[in-house]
Amino acid sequence: MTTSDPKESSSDPSEMEVVSTDPELRIGVFPCKCGKNIGAVVDVDELAEYSKTLPGVVFVQVNTYTCADPGQREIQEAITEHGLNRVVVVSCSPTMHEDTFRKTVREAGLNPYLCIMANVREHVSWVHQHDPAAATQKAKDLVAMSVAKAATLEAQPELDVPVTQAALVVGAGVAGMQAALDLADAGFKVNLVEKEPTIGGIMAILDKVFPQNDCSICILGPKMVDVAKHPNINLITLAEVETISGYVGNFAVRVKQRARYVDIDTCTSCGDCVEVCPVDVPSRTDQSLTWQKAIQIPFPQAVPSSYFIDPDACLGMDLIRCGKCIDRCEQKAIVPSDRDKYIDFEVGVIILATGFSPADPRKIPRLGWGRYPNVITTLEFERLINAAGPTEGSLVRPSDLVKPKSVAIAQCVGSRSKDTRMACSNFCCAESVKCALLVKEHYPDTEVTIYYQDLRMHGKYFEDQYLKAREEGVKFVRGRVGEIQQYPDTKNLRVSVEDTTHNKLLMIDYDLVILSMGAEGRSGNFPIPISCTEDSFYIESHPKLRPVDTSSAGVFICGGAESPKDIRDSVIQASAAAGRAAIILQKGRYPIEALSAKIMQDLCNRCGTCVSRCPYGAISQDGTGKFTVMGALCQACGTCAGDCPKDAIYMPNFTSQQIEAQIEIALREKPEDKIVAFACAFCSYRGSDLAGVSRMQYPTNARVIRAMCSGRYSPRFAQKAFELGAGAVLYSGCHLPADCHFQTGNHWMAKREPRIRGWMKRNNVSEDRFRIEWVSAGEGKKWQTIMSEMANVVEEHKTSLPAPKKATKKAKAKPKPKSKTMKAKPKSKTKPRPKSGTIKKSASKKKKASSKK
Amino acid sequence: MTDQADTNRTQELEELREAARPCFQCGICASSCPVFRVTPEMNPRVAVDSIIASGEISEDGTEWLCAYCLMCDQRCPMGVSLAEILLGIKNIAAKEGKAPTEFTQTLETLADDGCLSPISSRSEKKRVELGLPDLPRPDPVIIQKMLEATSAADVLKINKAALEEASE
Repeated sequence: MTTSDPKESSSDPSEMEVVSTDPELRIGVFPCKCGKNIGAVVDVDELAEYSKTLPGVVFVQVNTYTCADPGQREIQEAITEHGLNRVVVVSCSPTMHEDTFRKTVREAGLNPYLCIMANVREHVSWVHQHDPAAATQKAKDLVAMSVAKAATLEAQPELDVPVTQAALVVGAGVAGMQAALDLADAGFKVNLVEKEPTIGGIMAILDKVFPQNDCSICILGPKMVDVAKHPNINLITLAEVETISGYVGNFAVRVKQRARYVDIDTCTSCGDCVEVCPVDVPSRTDQSLTWQKAIQIPFPQAVPSSYFIDPDACLGMDLIRCGKCIDRCEQKAIVPSDRDKYIDFEVGVIILATGFSPADPRKIPRLGWGRYPNVITTLEFERLINAAGPTEGSLVRPSDLVKPKSVAIAQCVGSRSKDTRMACSNFCCAESVKCALLVKEHYPDTEVTIYYQDLRMHGKYFEDQYLKAREEGVKFVRGRVGEIQQYPDTKNLRVSVEDTTHNKLLMIDYDLVILSMGAEGRSGNFPIPISCTEDSFYIESHPKLRPVDTSSAGVFICGGAESPKDIRDSVIQASAAAGRAAIILQKGRYPIEALSAKIMQDLCNRCGTCVSRCPYGAISQDGTGKFTVMGALCQACGTCAGDCPKDAIYMPNFTSQQIEAQIEIALREKPEDKIVAFACAFCSYRGSDLAGVSRMQYPTNARVIRAMCSGRYSPRFAQKAFELGAGAVLYSGCHLPADCHFQTGNHWMAKREPRIRGWMKRNNVSEDRFRIEWVSAGEGKKWQTIMSEMANVVEEHKTSLPAPKKATKKAKAKPKPKSKTMKAKPKSKTKPRPKSGTIKKSASKKKKASSKK
Repeated sequence: MTDQADTNRTQELEELREAARPCFQCGICASSCPVFRVTPEMNPRVAVDSIIASGEISEDGTEWLCAYCLMCDQRCPMGVSLAEILLGIKNIAAKEGKAPTEFTQTLETLADDGCLSPISSRSEKKRVELGLPDLPRPDPVIIQKMLEATSAADVLKINKAALEEASE
């Protein structure tokens, strides 16, 4: 990894103009109507008038679409004309357009970090559509909070880092192969890592591929050879990524490669070893429909074209236990001394093409798979009808190896159900129609019926295939199969299904039933955290405009790892990911996040807590005992600052001062009504945005404060909010244990809970007013639920007032030192005033002093 | 019918409609239903469909055939509780005096005797012969109290009145 610190070296003043030293604060506020998206709910003109009254604001301009070209130009003109040195754009979520507006202000000569957004679309107009008055009030608060934060923003240097011109592609299915080939052809070194002994993925075991029904391995085989022979591709099979460290442009990767026990270069795949191997294991390629040996090759076209030994099945590679293959191999290709090994390399970008798993039919016992031999999955069907499969291409019933006279195909197995996966699997309709056509091709007189719920033949040429199936006499019945029963003697199957177009129950006997299996996600266990949906598929940076990017810079996704998709879509997405990755690789340098923590030496008591908090090892102690942060390693999560007992760590853009200013503004009026919600930028804030995008309505109490990571939420923030009389406080982060984008920030935040609860107990704040929640970027619904529940808590708490009386009563009974803070609290609750910050500080100081006694 | 009863009915229907909304008419419930297998009129999917589509319950009273075996609940891919919805429909119908006579008669028997299947003198004799202790006597008063508390007694009255009206 790079040892030089780009963030340190950029102190060169010529690189940028320092604007923040301006003595006078000149803030420009730009409320956006977003057509009717904001304008129809929030009174934007009133909002603009209100903005003018805020301290430091010298210019306000309303726009219908601020993000469009004229809107951006107006911001730039206003910066020059009115000498603005801070910009607040009041529009949508910063995850959507923060980059856009930062670029806009940069072009006008303002440091991009002096531009901030107030989110009145996802957090206001889209979620409070039925209460314009309260929505406008909330919007005002959000603008005031952003203006208060803007007042203390500081310019940050913009930096770029060198990029290692090599890529890591994880997974060598059709998507991973395509991405690797594209990047390799563009001239970049590619490390292609595959878990299995061969590349090819699921496509390699299919027979025909829709909609043209061409032979799968015939089109995939040559591509697999291309991958193996490409001078720019370093193919690593039987391997998984163990650790990744670093950042975009400079990832250090460690791959663990399992022992193969066969030398790839000397093995000629003659197959002599198989003849002598005494161990039979179920064949993975053939879906356990047949047997193979402990020394095996997945299929004849496998790449690398070499056998391998399954160490779990092998009796032992020495002459005492077995060693027959060693004896037999004329090439001396078998290497019993082979061991697992680690391979280290550096790359600039990562493409994840880890694919999906076929859905597990055992999860749906009513369909009888596993109990009834003649109920098979689509993958088993592929092997049965494949010329290289266990029956050499003749389709027979597994129970008696007889040709089936009637076949039923059941759709939506493993998808569109709460028991498996709620979403549609995208490919299984076309897959079923293909299976039907293949059966008809083999046995024209066999009856085929497809039981579908909604036939989704949406792709190019798919409709032709559907038409062809109808012409061939395939029956289509609308209704999902309820259950399958077996006749014990004949092993025929009785399918119960309702023909929903005729409201009629059908109970029909079939020789063979094919379950059209959906897909299950298997993303999420990768060494660097990338957000996943609830069903374990990676989440893209933007569902429409950045479909192959992830929230981590330099990491891209494609193929089945992103969502279930067919071959054509996988290849399209793989090329897209390769193209996006090539942009970073080709330039050679990449601009990075300029933010990094700084330790204020005069406050630091050198306890060293921060060192243990930093997941990147960016904080170190020098010879004099001084702690410093290495900027290039720091990812600006702020976990160190969240736990610093002296508040001695300065987190640019998310300073304690800024966050506390936001809390104060949020609780200026009727604090008992408000929920102060902290949301981390990667998961929870995006989750709250999703609630907005999905128009999930919830009460208007919440005032969301965004931080990079939940690790930043110091217990002080909750205390401050409660001292100011907040109705409730929410700390929300990425899911435990492994979703945090900064590795461990959420763990450290969770550990603060007892401290906060302890403080609340001592200060008579009821338990239910503070919550820690884990909300992922895919859980808009959860955000809505939490907001509604917390609004109820706030409401209950309000009606159970007068709480202050209770507090003072109890306080009298309690020992002296605490009563002071008690009295301070009800005061702030009934009479919130702008200066309360200073009062509270003194109060908390007293408390600290007294607690020391 | 009073206004209050009317609003209650609308509200109950609305609740049923909300519960039925996720249904996407796949037919797994119908193909799993043991009653539908022998009685083609009783289709749980169609019962739910009419609530979603028109916000009304069908007037043919097929919901009383539901055996409440919960197979549909168990298998519904969208987690719609069909048996509960059918129970809701039964409740609404019963409050309007539309409960089938078999059900009202059963309830009356229960209210009068405190049990549904009275102890026969033959089994009592047999118990004496075998030296078994006497069976506990059901107490109709307790049952009646329960019926009052759950307002089942009112529903029973409504249905009896409706029955008399019909016979006249």
